[in-house]
Amino acid sequence: MKVRKIVTVVEEIRTEGGREVWPPARVAVVAAVIENPWAGQGFVEDLGPGIDETASDLGAMLAPQVLAALELPAEAYGKAAIVGLDGEVEHGSALIHTLKFGDHFRKAADATTLLPAVEKRGPAGVVFDIPLKHITDATIRSHHQTIEVRIADAPHQDEIVVALAAAAQGRPQQRLAALSTEQ
Amino acid sequence: MQATETKPVPGLRKLVVYRETLVTEAGARPARPVQQASAAAVLRNPWVRTGPSRDLSEEVAQIAPSLARLLTDRLADALGGVAAIEAFGKAAIVGTAGEIEHGGALIHTPYFGNLMREFLEGESIICFADARAEAGQPLVVPLWHKTHAATRSHYQTVSTRVPDAPRADELVVVAAASTGPRPHPRIGDRATDPVITVKSLESVLS
Repeated sequence: MKVRKIVTVVEEIRTEGGREVWPPARVAVVAAVIENPWAGQGFVEDLGPGIDETASDLGAMLAPQVLAALELPAEAYGKAAIVGLDGEVEHGSALIHTLKFGDHFRKAADATTLLPAVEKRGPAGVVFDIPLKHITDATIRSHHQTIEVRIADAPHQDEIVVALAAAAQGRPQQRLAALSTEQ
Repeated sequence: MQATETKPVPGLRKLVVYRETLVTEAGARPARPVQQASAAAVLRNPWVRTGPSRDLSEEVAQIAPSLARLLTDRLADALGGVAAIEAFGKAAIVGTAGEIEHGGALIHTPYFGNLMREFLEGESIICFADARAEAGQPLVVPLWHKTHAATRSHYQTVSTRVPDAPRADELVVVAAASTGPRPHPRIGDRATDPVITVKSLESVLS
């Protein structure tokens, strides 16, 4: 795995809808900008070897960092793969949609649910939204949320940005009735 | 990146800390691993709808010091302490209902600048960028050496952006810093430059 840079973003919301949020609502993202393992190889039929070489190491690197940046236990989480313009979206999906990648985060966060994800292709500086859901029950509405990320000079055309996001709580001022009230 | 809580900043809506750790550049590891960071505060513009003759000093004295404290605390926390910081810069993005002067009021007066310099143990004038913009507009913040501003290896920038700020009646105030030079600095310095004048380059220019 060839890493160019690691980006950490922490958002802390103090006021929402004109009302104070206390304790502040925290969401953290850690993204690795890496070389696309399949760059320059044309159409690669079997992505397995590239996944084996990269996905687990990537998950093991990012999971502890995003939890450290959050500084609080994670209640919601999500992931992202943003592929540079010369790659396939399938390359990003290959890196994040295996248990080899996701299990590091699930284990570190004591989580059980599938990680919601965004996969897309774009130029350097593309804005992407990472969806987050509750770490043990994806039907908990209060925790459905999104964080927006942009890295000014990534991904280059032969790179992939792979990111994990974690939130310490649901949305600030969340006040929707639970799914169970409609069933 | 959660420093101990300081005196609250009036009108603060949110705080965004961004950090980049450069591992390789142009395929090679830099001689020194360097981190850049920015800390951005989104706050209500206290001067919206007050007009260009309004004296800004009262709110500056009230808001800017706690803002300087909060942002430099977060920066130092993100970069491993004040001693690790070698270059710094600052910025303001004013929402469309405000004046650029409102951003300047919060970053260019001693209530912010002197405190930021002192908190980060610098001596240089702090370089800056400002803009009036819609929410989500990126701004490139220049940085230079905190004690020797003319150190060429430390001329660098960090891009800052808050997705949903500033709203028309808000301001984004940014403090930014780096723990070292550009990844592969190799364009000399004042000490190594030849003497270059228009006269010395006469043959090239004509």
